[in-house]
Amino acid sequence: MSNQQLGDFLAHSVELESEARERYLELAQAMIAHHNTDVAGFFNRMAEESRLHLEEVAEIAQDIELPGLKAWEFGWPEEESPEAVSYEAVHYRMSLRQAMLLALENERAAEKFYRSFADASSDGETRHLAAQFSAEEASHAAQLVKMLGKLPPAREHHLEEDDQPHMPE
Amino acid sequence: MNLIAKAKPKDYKSSVKPIWCPGCGHFSVLNALTKAFAALGIDKDDTVLVSGIGCSSRLPAYVDSYGFHGVHGRGLAIAQGLKVARPDLTVIALGGDGDGFSIGGNHFIHACRRNVNITYIAMDNEVYGMTKGQASPTTAADWDHSKLTPHGPGVRPFKPAALALASGAPWIARGYSGNPNQLARLIAEAVEHPGFSFVHVLSQCITFCPEQTDWKAVVSEREAPALTDADAAASLFLHENGFQTGVLYNAARNAWPPEQVERQSTDITEGFRL
Repeated sequence: MSNQQLGDFLAHSVELESEARERYLELAQAMIAHHNTDVAGFFNRMAEESRLHLEEVAEIAQDIELPGLKAWEFGWPEEESPEAVSYEAVHYRMSLRQAMLLALENERAAEKFYRSFADASSDGETRHLAAQFSAEEASHAAQLVKMLGKLPPAREHHLEEDDQPHMPE
Repeated sequence: MNLIAKAKPKDYKSSVKPIWCPGCGHFSVLNALTKAFAALGIDKDDTVLVSGIGCSSRLPAYVDSYGFHGVHGRGLAIAQGLKVARPDLTVIALGGDGDGFSIGGNHFIHACRRNVNITYIAMDNEVYGMTKGQASPTTAADWDHSKLTPHGPGVRPFKPAALALASGAPWIARGYSGNPNQLARLIAEAVEHPGFSFVHVLSQCITFCPEQTDWKAVVSEREAPALTDADAAASLFLHENGFQTGVLYNAARNAWPPEQVERQSTDITEGFRL
């Protein structure tokens, strides 16, 4: 039972960190294509953070048999894994501040997810790891709050499309 | 770690990076498709994605399988021809609402009635996005966000599921780009269905229809099992709000080509003898 809980937890952790990394990379690439280099750079940095966390999880999981769950078989609190940026939440004209706030929301969602796993588990090792991961996400969130504090004050930012279709008179 | 040995969704992505607008629902469809492929263990060398023209029709370039970026509205015609010639392949046609229900509308209804064993994924954002925001066949009659239709298109939009049912489609599902994991399951089931399977995807265009970010609040998963009765399905599709997701209709119908009954050979000249 304990091994099953640990395997289930690690399978979720691997998926969570992989999805976060891939999503950030994908969105960074899309932002580059749309000339939003500030946000692209930030998303790349977040992808690197997720890669480091993924490596940590993979190392812990290397000798453990993980369940081969299909994408729809994971038990996420919402539709997607908690740290994956929701597609409809981004915009090619979004500001760095908006991107950071979005990332902060996701770090907090991941922290909450890991904490709830720790609270619900009856296995000591799973509880310990889940609490550790939750604390790491909390520290990422704190770093983001610090970075947000260093940004210049928010300016009015509009997302409307400037380049309207040509309408001959 | 046994996950390493299995193909992962990202293994099905090509090295070509999408140029869709960040926020576009099509990213989610791409992810759902690759998740479905990974879950089914699809062999990419035996898989072909066929598309028409439009933002969504760029998708085959982003998947590491065979692909055909075809002519506007003709993805289904090409896909059916390919499947008939090569029944061993997994063939998936993809496109948008303009490509599928306007330019390719005739191919759509005939694909539904013909029932060749392919999957058709229609990524519906109710707008022509690639040409910068004109009304499509699924745009609401009063959608006045485009300067090209300042008072709205003024015509009733198609209901793709109802159209598919009336045309004879045996398997109809609806997914939402805001729920890529559910969409992955729907696509996997569609690919496994032995006949024409139609997956209607609500895939938001945040650039030209920013109001579609509100879809999240109205989309709901239909709890009931798929309907098998066409009358009941017709009633559902004509009266629902268009935001219910899941496998909505699943009727048993033999895929094309029908079994050929061997007829006794006749001497054709006999019929013309005076």
